[in-house]
Amino acid sequence: MRIRKAVITAAGQSQRALPLQTLTDRDGQEKPVICILIEQALAAGMEEICIVVWPGDESRYAQAAGRHGSSVRFIAQPAPNGYGQAILCAREFTGGDPFLHMVGDHLYVNSGAKPSALRLVELAEAEECSVSGVQATRESLLPRFGTVAGRRAAGRSDLYRVDTVIEKPTPTEAEQRLMVPGIRAGFYLCFFGIHVLTPAVMEILAKGLPTLSAALAELARHEQYLALEDDGRRYDLGAPYGLLIAQLALALNGQDRAQVLSQMLELLADRELHTAAAGGLRQ
Amino acid sequence: MIAPVSALTDVITATGEQRDQSLDALCRDLTLDGLLAECRELDTFRRASDNLYQRVRALFFLSAIHRFHIPLRPAAAAPAMIPFAGYSNLLKRRFEEAIDLFLAAQEQHGPSAAISSALAAGYRALAFQTLADQVRRSVRSIRGNQWMFRTGHPADYPLRLRPELLTGAPVFPILRETTPVRMDLTHSGWSDIFFLGMDFPEGARVLNISIDLAVRAAGAPDAQPKPPVEAYLRVIDQPVLRLTSVDLQATTDVTSIAEVFDFARDYLGLLKAAVIAGGIVPPGMEGATQPLADLLARLTGKPGHGLELVSKVNDIPKGSRLAVSTNLLACLIAACMRATNQIHALTGSITEEDRRLVAARAILGEWLGGSGGGWQDSGGVWPGIKLIHGVPANEGDPEFGISRGRLLPNHKIFGAAEVSDATRERLQQSLVLVHGGMAQDVGPILEMVTEKYLLRSETEWAGRKQAIGILDEVVTHLERGDVAAIGACTQKNFDGPIQTIIPWAGNLYTSTLIRRAREEFGDDFWGFWMLGGMSGGGMGFIFSPHRKLEAQTRMQAIMNATKCEMEHCVPFAMQPVVYNFAINELGTQANILTGGNALMPAGYYTLAVPPLLRTEARHLSPARRAELERFTDACRHNEEFGGMVHNLFDHLLPRGQDQESGRAHSLDSLLEAYGFDRLQHEQIQSDLRAGRIGLAQNRLPVTSHIEDATPDSLDGRHRDAGMQALAEGRVAVVSLAGGVGSRWTKGAGVVKALNPFCKLGGRHRSFIETHLAKSLRVGRECGTLLPHVITTSYLTHDAIAQHLEREHNFGYPGPLFLSQGRSIGLRMIPMERDLRFAWEEMPQQLLDVQAQKVREGLHAALIKWAAQAGEGANYTDNLPGQCLHPVGHWYEVPNLLRNGTLLRLLEQRPHLNYLMVHNIDTAAADVDASILGQHIASGAGLTTEVIARHLEDRGGGLARVDDRVRLVEGLALPNDELESHLSYYNSATYWLDIDRILAVFGLTRAELSDTGRVNHAVRELASRMPTYITLKDVKKRWGKGQEDVFPVAQFEKLWGDMTALPELHCRFVAVPRQRGQQLKEPAQLDAWLRDGSAAHTDSLCAWE
Repeated sequence: MRIRKAVITAAGQSQRALPLQTLTDRDGQEKPVICILIEQALAAGMEEICIVVWPGDESRYAQAAGRHGSSVRFIAQPAPNGYGQAILCAREFTGGDPFLHMVGDHLYVNSGAKPSALRLVELAEAEECSVSGVQATRESLLPRFGTVAGRRAAGRSDLYRVDTVIEKPTPTEAEQRLMVPGIRAGFYLCFFGIHVLTPAVMEILAKGLPTLSAALAELARHEQYLALEDDGRRYDLGAPYGLLIAQLALALNGQDRAQVLSQMLELLADRELHTAAAGGLRQ
Repeated sequence: MIAPVSALTDVITATGEQRDQSLDALCRDLTLDGLLAECRELDTFRRASDNLYQRVRALFFLSAIHRFHIPLRPAAAAPAMIPFAGYSNLLKRRFEEAIDLFLAAQEQHGPSAAISSALAAGYRALAFQTLADQVRRSVRSIRGNQWMFRTGHPADYPLRLRPELLTGAPVFPILRETTPVRMDLTHSGWSDIFFLGMDFPEGARVLNISIDLAVRAAGAPDAQPKPPVEAYLRVIDQPVLRLTSVDLQATTDVTSIAEVFDFARDYLGLLKAAVIAGGIVPPGMEGATQPLADLLARLTGKPGHGLELVSKVNDIPKGSRLAVSTNLLACLIAACMRATNQIHALTGSITEEDRRLVAARAILGEWLGGSGGGWQDSGGVWPGIKLIHGVPANEGDPEFGISRGRLLPNHKIFGAAEVSDATRERLQQSLVLVHGGMAQDVGPILEMVTEKYLLRSETEWAGRKQAIGILDEVVTHLERGDVAAIGACTQKNFDGPIQTIIPWAGNLYTSTLIRRAREEFGDDFWGFWMLGGMSGGGMGFIFSPHRKLEAQTRMQAIMNATKCEMEHCVPFAMQPVVYNFAINELGTQANILTGGNALMPAGYYTLAVPPLLRTEARHLSPARRAELERFTDACRHNEEFGGMVHNLFDHLLPRGQDQESGRAHSLDSLLEAYGFDRLQHEQIQSDLRAGRIGLAQNRLPVTSHIEDATPDSLDGRHRDAGMQALAEGRVAVVSLAGGVGSRWTKGAGVVKALNPFCKLGGRHRSFIETHLAKSLRVGRECGTLLPHVITTSYLTHDAIAQHLEREHNFGYPGPLFLSQGRSIGLRMIPMERDLRFAWEEMPQQLLDVQAQKVREGLHAALIKWAAQAGEGANYTDNLPGQCLHPVGHWYEVPNLLRNGTLLRLLEQRPHLNYLMVHNIDTAAADVDASILGQHIASGAGLTTEVIARHLEDRGGGLARVDDRVRLVEGLALPNDELESHLSYYNSATYWLDIDRILAVFGLTRAELSDTGRVNHAVRELASRMPTYITLKDVKKRWGKGQEDVFPVAQFEKLWGDMTALPELHCRFVAVPRQRGQQLKEPAQLDAWLRDGSAAHTDSLCAWE
């Protein structure tokens, strides 16, 4: 199995502007978020990329994609029918091929040598099945993520054979159905936001399932489906200060790390000195 | 694994039938040394064992050996000191340390009944603590509950409200949950107690039916049954948790996390427990200081918004034995879990998996609220008829390796193929479901069941096996549709196994109802059906269907009449009711009320609307304004809201004044009638307020020198002299029956002397009947009938007089006098310092962690009540009878002088020289010729019977105080430890030499007819007697079977202080425990029956 196509979803009504924001990437270049995501997909070996957008957003996205425009095509999601259906919009594009899937409102930053997307792609190609990136996540964050449970694969500490997937479970349900041996109490394997999906997923989504989690739960019942634990960090751009935190993460992991750190320290020191001086005056 | 080295540890570790051997049978023939050797082995075994069942059973074995076997060995009879440090550790629930101290004392001083009584209490308490801890651990470790205990900060809070509940502002939709209650068709010998399911899952089975109810009132005999409990949940536009109980008429806005965990602060403890167990404010948050508003903002996703939770019980009274409160808790929890997506179905039924989770959360909620029920109690969550049965613990269960069975049972729902629709209909057409009205305390019964199960006493174990068989019979009859046979089975169950296992499950009230039903309906009465922990409250009577309607009417009349006859001797909480009922085939259900239908139950608005009407319209939030509009519209168009406008006016302008003034008038007339001494009262009130008297001032000066004293031994050589005095008519008996025995019925105000407390001579007997039967026997033995005096008070006189008349003095042929009390007190609101002294300074039994928290909250609330009501003020906010109090038994003997009873006695029996005066609850006190002879021979004016002290004998005893041997009251001892150094306890049976006692009063026989002289003499001596301030619990009843208990202050003078008078020659004689034991609490009865005391008492009686 070879994976050459990627699908990025960016059609959510409240998130459609986020991928167009400009950040300074690890290489010091200013780029729109969507561009960084495209580059991550290309780095993972993808040759064709499809971005699912809100109707009418195609040209703005094309502009944001810049020099990568030739590798990218856009598909509009005609009606806001949910995340699962957004992926399904790319069905024609993926055809009968497996594909890499990333969400447009998150940024992924790896500290290790190999990017998350690439690790996932390599594993999916080797195992010839769908693979999702997952991360042990505190139960207080469960309302935000799809969550999986499964058995650890023999000989690997970071790989799981998934048998259950639940979209945004309550901790009550998570405790009953999603506890995984070896994961700390109160932590669950939540989606990281990057998946490699087989064509079967598109077929399942076509039956009308509302979320990707529901489709993957169905998938796990019929064929092998793996989850790979990732040690990278994902940044939700839609969260409060999401863009700022993502920018800091990029900067602190990039070539300008020393410069950014020293500026931050200066900022902090100025503020503290100012506060201390104001306190002294009051006394 | 420990190698078994004794016969008893063998039994505990055995697997087959050997495991079911009776402890009593194994110990019966062992010597004292043999018993002690077994105890040593058991104690070593239980300390080393890591198996829950083995530890608990060994603890119960140890407790039973020390309670029922060692004390019966003659070598253990000598008195011994119980180390105070051990007693103190018991109170603090440090059971292991207490046991070690008692064992060390036994090692040092040798075995004794006294130390054994302490060890028995320690082992028993540790056994129940071990069980409770295990239930708690199991509930916490159930998957789906664990996260709630580690969520301690609002930032970690993982629940979100479902979006469906957040639409439609300003008035949000209402989630309405309705739940049936459950009844237990088979009872099965209380097999739903947790430990039975966990140790004997094969024997833990019940047939449980979900039902809808309606109270059948005279005006509405056809009231349609509906689910009895309802919960309403919605989002509100204020950042508070608004809790309302419609039936308890209570509402509060909770604004802090700490307040959510304060269960006793108001009547909303159940709702708070549901909020916690439902995960809305998880138990891990207890102690968090962050604002509740932060948590609510995370929950709703809307800062500034909160949640409202409303409960409603559809007129079903408390104590129905239908698990109303557990099902209400489950109903509220289900609503909370649906709202937060912990249960996927927002409306309609819920899945089996979710039902199990709700049941587990309900157990958690009950533990949080400091209460507890059985594992079948949340059965209303399930639909229809189901068999609930224990399940062996398997790998993967949290109980695996700890107990044989799981904490939570399985539910097998019977479909139409197993129990046909026609059978269900027939069952509904045959059963008359009632609430008999009796007030009950089921807690001790459930403890007895656990204990007896583990001891496998022969008859009780046979009873349990029979009950298991009866369940199978009932299931068979149910499948065949034979309701008459079911009636026969439930009656057989009640007559046989239920009362074999727990004799106290039956009572005179119930047996009278059954007899009368049978008399009236003959063969058309198919059987009695006991519900829940004990009879007298919720009960069923099965009739032939063609007479059901008639039976409903007649049972109401029979219950009313029987209650009327018995209400002075049996505690009732309410007027009996008959229900209409229907089997609920749906289980718990929910729906969403939106738009104009988003209304709370009508009763809610009588609480919520008056404050809104008092608020200017411009200050009302949009939500409140919109709600008022909906309510107004509903009042016009909705049938349920008919009459609401009138109700509202009643609430806005309360009409309680007539009732209040009527109550005050009646209290004044009672005080007048019973000779209330207003001057004395005002003096006491002023002394109390000034701190001259009070709990701390009851005590003797700390400089008093107090040490142990030894009484005379019982000397049988004086028996002939005693018999001769009896034959010559020189003795009379005085039974003190002026008090109501507030500990006996927890302040319910019935006459203890008339309470049919136990079956003796084949049927239930009251204390008075028992005492008269003993007098009859003594009279027959000596050839002269004994005069018997029963002293009464304003509380008891009329009831006792009427009862004796109705029962023709229970056939007592001898002279029988009633000596009416002449003294009365008016209760007072307690002083805060006395409440604090009682709760903070005096030794208190600590409760289990959660129950203790609830109690501390309650104490804080009661201290606030005392301050608000006015410390030291007259207590008048209750029924008049509950505001008065008898002024202590010192007055009982002087009353004989003042009311002319002694004079009349002497006229009838001029040779009368001696009186035996005893408490009504000293069941085995009789006019014993040997003790009488000994009293005569000693020449004493007053001889007091004392018994060797056991752990439970608290309240003073025999002591040498500053060189005089006398009785000291417990409340007069300068410190709590002193009591442990006193070997003998006052049994409160006194022998009086009439002339010598009169001399102490400064009177002679000839002066008894001079009322003025007598009154003066009594007042003079009374002034020399100490006045003690005591706190008594008084019940205030309200609503439908609801009760509040208030501590009130009153004063007492006590007869034992006569022994301090230097001019009175006093002797003390040690008597056997069986003779001197007083029955203060119903929980004592079971041990009293098992240790042979009941049989001994029975043997002293001549029953007519």
